[in-house]
Amino acid sequence: MDEVGKLLDRPKQYYNIDGLGELGCGILSLGYGLFMWLEMHSPATAIWHKISIFILLGLVMVIHYGTKALKTHVTYPRTGFVEYRKDARLRNLIIGGALGGLTSLTLALSVSHHWDISTLLLLFGPVFAIGYGYAIARAVRWKWVIAAAFALTSVVIAFLPTDFLAILANDSPAAHPVRARIGGTMLISLLTYGALFIVSGGISFWHYLRHTEPAALENL
Amino acid sequence: MKSQIRTIADLDRVIHEPGRLMIAALLFAVEQADFLYLLHETGMNKGTLSSHISRLEEAGYVEVTKTYRGKVPQTLLRLTGAGRKAFTQYRRKLKEAL
Repeated sequence: MDEVGKLLDRPKQYYNIDGLGELGCGILSLGYGLFMWLEMHSPATAIWHKISIFILLGLVMVIHYGTKALKTHVTYPRTGFVEYRKDARLRNLIIGGALGGLTSLTLALSVSHHWDISTLLLLFGPVFAIGYGYAIARAVRWKWVIAAAFALTSVVIAFLPTDFLAILANDSPAAHPVRARIGGTMLISLLTYGALFIVSGGISFWHYLRHTEPAALENL
Repeated sequence: MKSQIRTIADLDRVIHEPGRLMIAALLFAVEQADFLYLLHETGMNKGTLSSHISRLEEAGYVEVTKTYRGKVPQTLLRLTGAGRKAFTQYRRKLKEAL
């Protein structure tokens, strides 16, 4: 990439300069993982099963408005405000929605058709790590450690015994081996990925606060 | 070779200056950004950045809006249609010349 190309890329990397992007992802993953655990370990008639979609939407809203408020009060007064182009935001939304939809569909089909998707799950981590590396670690070198941890985590999870994953998912490995494996894998992946995002985003936020301060009025 | 030299001579001098090229490239990638962001990203001082922005504004490449974020003043900058076109052409010509 030429120097001008690198400059054109800078605003994209600015979004996570304070680590808030990662913190948002971490809170979403960890929060949804904890809620999933609650759902799996509560009786089928429990209220959690009926309100799961509202909990997820609520969590997304809290993260969206929480990030906005923090950016307004912490980031913009320190290192400036950027409004991204609408076409870029729409493109990201479409890509994110398509990937999320495809993942959900694959998981739903594998449970209903009893497919063994262990290899697919094994591949998910390295692919995710590459995506993370491109989007975030490219700009901050030490985050390649986090990218490697994402890849390693998925490999470790892929080799966990089904019995252990079934205990996590509160399912029967004998009656529903695929469902138990997928449920346990999703749960432990959400929790560990969420924790990794929070650690990485937390360090970035702490570092950002330490090395920046609100700009003087004459610089605005 | 002659055509390459001609292409270099044809480069938009308003954008070709490194400081202004930096500003144009940063603004090209976004809808708008404020003065503080450009100050932070370019590493220029306030005076130099202001003079480059004024030059780009004179050429009709950048639109400057003075506003407030709450009670705090904010200077928003965006690349105009002409600015986007000029930057795209500049990049194309530079690639051709090199």
